[in-house]
Amino acid sequence: MTSSLIALMFLSLFLGFGCWLVFLWAVRKGEFSDIERPKHRMLEEDEPDKPKDKGAGG
Amino acid sequence: MKQALSPCFHCGADIPPGGLVEERSGDTTVGFCCRGCHGAYLLISGAGLADFYRRREWQESGLAPQAFQGGYHDSYLARFVYPADSGSAIDIIIDGIRCASCVWLNEKIIASLPGVLDARVNYATGRARVIFDPELTSPAAIFTRIDRVGYAPRPYTESAAKEVNRREQKDLLYRFGTAIFLTMQLMAYSFALYAGYFQGIDAVMKGYLQLFSLLVTTPVVFYCGWPFLSGAWRAMVNRAPSMELLISIGALSSYAYSVYATFAGGEVYFETAAMIVTLILAGRLLENAAKRQAAGGVERLLGLCPQQAQRFCGDDLERVDPAELRPGDLILVSPGERFPADGRIEEGSTDIDESAATGEALPLFKRAGDAVIAGSSNLTGAVRVRCEREVSDSFIARVARLVEEAQSRRAPIQGVADRVSAFFVPTVLVTSLATFCWHYLAGTPFGESLMIALAVVVIACPCALGLATPTAILAGTGAAASMGVIFKGGDILERLSRVRVAVFDKTGTLTCGRPILFDIQAEPEITPREMIAIAASVERGSLHPLAKAIRDYADAHGIVHPAGTELKAVPGGGVTGRVNGEEVALGSVSFMERLGVAGVPRAGEPADGRMAVCVARQGRYCGTLILKDRMRDDAPCLASYFNRSGVLTLLLTGDLQGSAEKVAAAAGIGMGIGGLSPADKAAQINRLRREGATVLMVGDGINDAPALSAADVGCAVAGGTDIAIETSDLVLAKPDLVRLQKAHLIALRTMAVVKQNLVWAFLYNAIGIPLAMTGRLTPVYAAAAMALSSVCVVGNSLRLMRRTCD
Repeated sequence: MTSSLIALMFLSLFLGFGCWLVFLWAVRKGEFSDIERPKHRMLEEDEPDKPKDKGAGG
Repeated sequence: MKQALSPCFHCGADIPPGGLVEERSGDTTVGFCCRGCHGAYLLISGAGLADFYRRREWQESGLAPQAFQGGYHDSYLARFVYPADSGSAIDIIIDGIRCASCVWLNEKIIASLPGVLDARVNYATGRARVIFDPELTSPAAIFTRIDRVGYAPRPYTESAAKEVNRREQKDLLYRFGTAIFLTMQLMAYSFALYAGYFQGIDAVMKGYLQLFSLLVTTPVVFYCGWPFLSGAWRAMVNRAPSMELLISIGALSSYAYSVYATFAGGEVYFETAAMIVTLILAGRLLENAAKRQAAGGVERLLGLCPQQAQRFCGDDLERVDPAELRPGDLILVSPGERFPADGRIEEGSTDIDESAATGEALPLFKRAGDAVIAGSSNLTGAVRVRCEREVSDSFIARVARLVEEAQSRRAPIQGVADRVSAFFVPTVLVTSLATFCWHYLAGTPFGESLMIALAVVVIACPCALGLATPTAILAGTGAAASMGVIFKGGDILERLSRVRVAVFDKTGTLTCGRPILFDIQAEPEITPREMIAIAASVERGSLHPLAKAIRDYADAHGIVHPAGTELKAVPGGGVTGRVNGEEVALGSVSFMERLGVAGVPRAGEPADGRMAVCVARQGRYCGTLILKDRMRDDAPCLASYFNRSGVLTLLLTGDLQGSAEKVAAAAGIGMGIGGLSPADKAAQINRLRREGATVLMVGDGINDAPALSAADVGCAVAGGTDIAIETSDLVLAKPDLVRLQKAHLIALRTMAVVKQNLVWAFLYNAIGIPLAMTGRLTPVYAAAAMALSSVCVVGNSLRLMRRTCD
């Protein structure tokens, strides 16, 4: 009982650590430097990439 | 033949000879340049959307594409290029970015240039970072491409101060994110420990949980909390107790005791330490973001000044850094450029758009001898300008300095908070110490005495007190934002609730700032409709707001106006052209006289903001169009609301006294004062403030910036310049003044909630501290009570979100 709980605690700590690394990566990449633009970006329509089309067709 | 001259009805392009496709609808015939446009027209009108053609606006304000004739030189731009991960990079300010579509367009057109690897445009700052392959393309090619679609690119370099600021913000974000992750972990352990405290827990398990808590809390306190630990240290060294000191003592003492308890046995309070640090960091982050936004306005203001100037050196031109310009230097400013320094025109004449600097919407005609302001945009002609001031001393630089000063001055509320903490912090510490001594001397064991003393610190830890104001303000600003009212800070809400005098600017605030056609005085030989038709025809190509007003009127009344030919705009005077083969002239009375038009009435200039445009046909005067800037419909409504709630109203304007009084009376404003310069307006507001009144200033343009800053609360109605919006405290998302009334109501309600919260928090401290001193409250109960108190405070604040203000 105790040992499995401790294992779970380590697991949660490990998962949290993973999320933290993702967060650090995001800050470093500048994901939070412009929070206005991305919400508009999703409304833009781009032509699908040509190579992809070919792949689907072939 | 006449039809072929008008552009394609659908796309506006010139119709090539022989390409004309005609469509008859009712009694009019419209022409298209090709079958495609004709098909598109049929599709649109067939869907009942023909209104599109009346609503769409081809005219753009400001610069025409490729207006900048100076060209871009790689030799000049090379110094702004810096190496990037792959290839080279350059930062570009793109003048003219207004909306998400502009951002999209710029990104696409830059990215489609061969050799450009990546182009990202920041929506908030209007700056682009372009990464390119120097082998395949050059900065000049990128600049030319942006210029070609009608935006004005300028190289950008980040100042050292900005860079430091940005790094600080990033650092804070790292600390806060780390604190959040670790505190989330910690809360899981803490809840297990809470449960164990009440229901019993295996001693081994408890030991492990406490160890894990210690593991995750240590970095929170010492890494994440470092900014205020060092702040507290400085406060100690300077003997100036601050809230930072209390926070640090609260966090450190609960941490230290918990470490002790982990090894000596007992209850731990790691979550107290971690929560204090995390919440305070969140507050800092928000505060910094608000500050940065405010600084952005000043940056944009200074960004309007070009980064190069063309100076005459004998007869030759040389490109110099504007900072090198000295008073007396002669410079050339081409159309499409902005003026680098304040000066006077020496040769040439042009229309100048000063809207960025003065908020004046109409382009001004200036000729030799007239003063020009740095940052304003040269629209039509090349001029030689004699510099009068150094760049660092220009009007725009001075306004920027003024705004910066106003922003850096401390909010009075902060002084109060510091005075309270200066008294509160030592009191709590002394009380806690006295409690410890009292119990220890009375024979209580050391550990238990320490716990009792700690309970005092924990319960006094100004959590509820600290949350009382920010949560209410957060909820209040949130509710306001959903209604289109943006407060720049909590202190603004507080000050708005105390406002005693509301001051209004006239143009663009009480009035729309857009003239409309108001009256038509036609001579008997011509019908009003006919006159509008010929006027609109010759004004077809003009960007002038008066021209737009005339065209709008014609469109709204269904008056067909074919494009005139031989159109010629005379800067500052009017337009001439040919309509249906007849000569037509449009302009001011003096312009008519210059043209030798017969029969112009010798009436004086019309009064109170009305403008007269005379129309002449074949050299004969045939009527006058009167245009007027309309008052906003909701202005009287707002004025009467303020009058009812006991707030004095006042109108300050640069117009004549008579006009000020007339507008004030029409809007129901208590008093109107005219003939004021921007500095006078600020002085008036400062006088009111010295008399003890809290002043609200409602303005629009940047010439209000000093007044907006001087007032306790500055409010820019949207539609104003970006700078005015960013420098004011309170922004209305839509130019509808009733929102200001709602903002005032929200401010009053929020402050009522803040007062309730404060009373509750004080009551809780007043009961809790003595209880803790007697030793009847162990730290666990103290922490639980603190949490309960915080929940009450937060819950009370959240009521603001649900109450709609109608």
